[in-house]
Amino acid sequence: MPEYESVIGLETHIQLNTRSKIFCGCKADSWEDDPNVNICPICAGLPGVLPTLNKSVVEKAVLLALAVQADNILPISYLARKNYFYPDLPKGYQISQYAEPLARGGRLIIPSADGEDRVVNIEKLHIEEDAGKTVHQNGKRLIDFNRCGVPLVEMVTAPDIRSADDAAAYLIQLRRLLRWLGISEADMERGQLRCDANVSIRILGEDSLNTKTEIKNINSIENVRAAIKTEVKRQIQTVEAGQTIEAWTLGWDEDTETLRKMRSKETEADYRYFREPDLLPIRIDEEWLLEIKSSLPELPLARQKRFTLDYGLPDYDAAILTEERSLSSYFEATVKLSAGDPKTISNWVMNDVLRLIKEKKISAGGLRLIPKYLAEIIEIVESGMITRGTGKELLVNVEDKGKTPLELVELEGLAQVSDEETLKSMAMTIVDQNPKQVATYKAGKATILGWFVGQLMRATKGRADAKIVQSIFQELLDNDGDLGS
Amino acid sequence: MSEELCDLSATEISRRVKNGEVTAEEVLDSTLQRIRLVEGRRPSTNPYSPEGDDRNKVHAYISLTEKRARLQARAIDDAVKAGEDPGPLAGVTLAVKDIFCVHGTPTTAGSKILENFISPYSATSVQRLESAGAITVGKVNLDEFTFGSSNESSAFLPPVGNPWDPSRVPGGSSGGSAAAVAAGEAVLSLGTDTAGSIRQPAAFCGVVGIKPTYGRVSRYGLIAFASSIDCPGPIARNVTDAAIALQIMAGSDPFDATAAALSVPDYFSTIEKGIKGMRIGISPDYHKLKFPDPKTGEMCEQSVDEEIAEALSRVLDHLTNAGAEIVENVAMPNTRYGVPAYFVISRVEAASNLHRYDGVKYGYRFDGEVSNLRELYRKTRAHGFGSQAKLRILMGMYVSAEQYEKGYYQRALKIRTLIRNDFVNAFNPEGPYQLDCLLSATTPTTAFKIGAIYGNSVSMQYADLLTVPANHAGIPGLSVPAGVDNAGLPIGIQFLGPDFSEANLLRIGRSYEKASADEPWRRLQPKVLHA
Ligand SMILES: [Zn+2]
Repeated sequence: MPEYESVIGLETHIQLNTRSKIFCGCKADSWEDDPNVNICPICAGLPGVLPTLNKSVVEKAVLLALAVQADNILPISYLARKNYFYPDLPKGYQISQYAEPLARGGRLIIPSADGEDRVVNIEKLHIEEDAGKTVHQNGKRLIDFNRCGVPLVEMVTAPDIRSADDAAAYLIQLRRLLRWLGISEADMERGQLRCDANVSIRILGEDSLNTKTEIKNINSIENVRAAIKTEVKRQIQTVEAGQTIEAWTLGWDEDTETLRKMRSKETEADYRYFREPDLLPIRIDEEWLLEIKSSLPELPLARQKRFTLDYGLPDYDAAILTEERSLSSYFEATVKLSAGDPKTISNWVMNDVLRLIKEKKISAGGLRLIPKYLAEIIEIVESGMITRGTGKELLVNVEDKGKTPLELVELEGLAQVSDEETLKSMAMTIVDQNPKQVATYKAGKATILGWFVGQLMRATKGRADAKIVQSIFQELLDNDGDLGS
Repeated sequence: MSEELCDLSATEISRRVKNGEVTAEEVLDSTLQRIRLVEGRRPSTNPYSPEGDDRNKVHAYISLTEKRARLQARAIDDAVKAGEDPGPLAGVTLAVKDIFCVHGTPTTAGSKILENFISPYSATSVQRLESAGAITVGKVNLDEFTFGSSNESSAFLPPVGNPWDPSRVPGGSSGGSAAAVAAGEAVLSLGTDTAGSIRQPAAFCGVVGIKPTYGRVSRYGLIAFASSIDCPGPIARNVTDAAIALQIMAGSDPFDATAAALSVPDYFSTIEKGIKGMRIGISPDYHKLKFPDPKTGEMCEQSVDEEIAEALSRVLDHLTNAGAEIVENVAMPNTRYGVPAYFVISRVEAASNLHRYDGVKYGYRFDGEVSNLRELYRKTRAHGFGSQAKLRILMGMYVSAEQYEKGYYQRALKIRTLIRNDFVNAFNPEGPYQLDCLLSATTPTTAFKIGAIYGNSVSMQYADLLTVPANHAGIPGLSVPAGVDNAGLPIGIQFLGPDFSEANLLRIGRSYEKASADEPWRRLQPKVLHA
C-alpha cells in the first residue's frame, strides 16, 4: 500500500460579537433567549423592508483580515444575493458576498509541537448574514428567526492542511486569534465558530488535487479531528479497493461517530448570485483602513515570542500566558509593577491567578485582584513578611473581599511570626505538655518531629516559617527540653 | 358639475384647513362622497367577469381605511383648534398605491399572495406625508407587484377604469393612483415608477406625476419590484402640488442605504421663476420609436401618434414664448435598447424579490394537502401569484442562471450604462447640447382599451418605450398633461433632467402650466364626473 497524505481545506463561519445584527438594530446574540424575540420587520424579511449595513461588522471583519495578513483588502467590495428557498431564510435569499469579497489572500501560522510552524493560506474572507434555525419537533418544523441577520465572517483556507491534528490546531489557533481580537466569542458549541472541512487524499509526493468530499457543520474541535480522521480512512479504503471517490457532502454524527452522506455535489443549486441592489458598495478608504489598523493589537504569536525574549520565560509559560489576551496583559502589567523575577510572577499567574479565573469564570481583566495587588503579594511573600501559603490564601481573599493585600495583612494579622523568642517559648510549652510524644522521640522515632512542627504551625495559624520551627524543636528535644543559651 | 372640496388643489385645501375655513373632516367627507359616486364595486380576488356598470366606474381603491382616516382628520382639526401647525398638507387626502406598507392596513401589492397581509409598519414616504398632515384614505389598485402598464394584471378586479373613459386603461402600474387623483377620489397619490409607472398613468389620466432621481426618495416600505430602479413619487393635479408632496417625501433615510444623503432644495424658491434662457432638447429617438417585433424580433420603427406629436409642438411654442431655447436633433441612440435591457434587469431582481413569498411567514398559504415542503412552496406560489408575476420569475431565473447570466444580465447592465451616457452627454454643460432638460411625449399613444393588448408582453412594453430610459439612467422625469386627443383622452409630455434636477423640472413644468392655462382642454373634466 502506498503512503497517502490528506489534503484538507477548512471553511469557517465566524459569528461576530457585534451588539446589533448586520442589517437591522436587533440584538445580535440570542443565546438562551426565547425563539423569535430578537426580530423586527427587517430581519424577518417582511415585504418592503431594506437592509442597512452595520459598520462595526465591516470593522471587525477588516480587523481579522489584517490579523491574517490579507494580501488584498478590497477598497470596494460588494454584497450579493445568494438565492435559495428555505423556511428559515425569510427573504428567500441570503445577503452575502461573492465575486468581490472583503479580502483575499492571507495566512494563519500554526505553531506545532514538533517545533516546525505550519502556514495555512487563507483564500478569501467575506461578510454575510446568518439564517434562522429550524427545529423539527413532533413532525412539525419550528422556525426561530432570532439568528437571522446575525453577522458572520466566512473564511476559507487553501487546501494546505495535511492532517486531522493540524486541522484541529488551525481551529484552536483561529479561536485564540478571534478572542484575542475581541471580535467573536468563538465558542464552537454555541455555533459562534462553525467549520466545514473539504477532504481529499493523494499519494505522498504527488501534488495533484483529487476529488474531495465536504463534511458539513461539525460542532467541536474534537469532532473536526474525529470526522476528518474517519473520512481519510474511508477514502484510503475506497481507493485501495479500486473504487473512486465521489464528491459527496457528508454530515458527522456525533453520537455514533460516523459520517452520513447528505446530498450529491452535482445537484447543488445555482444560487444565481447578483449584486445586492439595496446596499451600497463597501468602500474601505485609506483613512478608515488606518483607523482600523490602529486598533490592531500585538498578535498572540508575536507576544508569545516576545515573552520568551524579554522576560526569559520558557516557551511553555509564554504559550500559556498568551493563550488569552487579557491574561497576557495581566501578566505583563504585573511584571512592570514588580521588582520580582518574571518567572516567579509567571508561576503565580499560571497557577493561582489562572485557577481563580477559571473558578470565577471571568477574564483576567475582570479580577479585583489587579496586577498591582498581585505584585504586592508576591513582594511580601518574597520578603518573608508572610509565608507562601498565606500568600496564596491572601490572593483569594483580595479577590473575594476587594481589599488591598496590605489592608488584609493588617486586619487579619497575617504577618509571619518571625520573632524566634516567641516561637521558642511556644515550642517549650508544647514539649512540656506532651511527654508521651517526647518519649517516643527519645526512643529513636525521629519522624515524630513533624508532629511537633504541625502543632506549632496550628497554633500560629501557619504564620511561622516551618524550617525555623523544625530547628527549634530539634534543638529542644535533643537537649532534653533545655535550650542552650 | 360644480367644484367640490375634493377637487381643490393641495395648496388650497391646506390653506383653508389651517385658516379654519373648512375642517379636514369635511375634506375627507367630500373625498369619500366622490368615491361613492365614481368608484363602483370594490375590486376583489373573486373570479371576475364584467357586469353592470363596471365599465363606467373607476374601481381605483382596493381598500378604504375610513376609520383610520377619520382619526387622522380629527387630529388635524384638533391641532388647528389648539393653534398648532397641522403641517403643509393639512387635510389633504392621499391615496396610497397598494405597494406601500401602511401601518395597520392591508397591503396587498395587488396580489393574491399578500391578500391577507396587514403591515405592522409604515413606509417612510407614507409616514412623512402623514406627518405633514396628509390623510390616507385607502390603498389604490395597481398591476400585481407593479408588473404591468395597464393595471389589468392586478389580482383585484374589476380593473381600474380611466376616469376619462372607463372602458380604457388608466395606465400602470400606478393606474389606481392616477385614476383616483384625476377623478377627485384623492388630492394626492403616492405611486412608484420602475419603467414609467408614475409618468405613463399620469399621462393617460391627465394628471401630473414625477419620478424623482433614484435615491431622492426612500424606498423603505415600498414592496420591491426591481430594487435598483424602483422610485416612489407623487401624483397630483398640478405641478405645485407635486412639488409640495415631493418636498416632504424627499431626503435621506436611515432605513434606506440607497437614499441619497444630499440635502433637498426648496422647490418653492424657484418654481415660479420661469425658464428664460433654459435649453430644452428634443430628440428624434424619442419620436421615431424603434422596438423589436414581438413575433420576429426584428427592429420595427413607429412614430409617436400624430395628435401627440402635434400637442408636443404646441408645447414647444409655449416654451419658446416663455424664453426657453429649443435644441433639436439631440442624439439619444441607445433609447431603443431600453426596453430589452429593462426586461432582463428588472426580471432578475423581481424573481429574487419575490422569493420571500413562500407561504411560510405571512400572506397566502396553500390550504390543501401537501406532502412536503417543496410542494407547499409550489402550490402556494402557483395559486398565489398571477401570470405576470410568474412570467417575471421564469424569465428572471433564466437570465440570471449561471450559464446565461453573462449573455443577458451582465450585457443588460452594460446597456444601462450606455443609456445613462446618452443622458450624461445631453446634459453635460460642456457637451454638444448643454441641455437643462429633454422633452418628449410621455407615451407613444393615449390610453388604450381594457383588454386590447393585455397578454402581449412585448406590445405592452411599447407603452414604456419613452419612459424606461430615465429609469435605467436613474434621472428624474416629470410628466404633465398637454392636451387631449380627438377622442377626448389626455396626452402627457415629460421633461427629463440630470440627477437631482427636480427643482428645475418642476420650474419648467410650472412655466408650461402657466403658459398653457388658457387652452380650452384645461377646462375639461373626466367623463366619470359627468355620469
Ligand atoms: Zn431585526
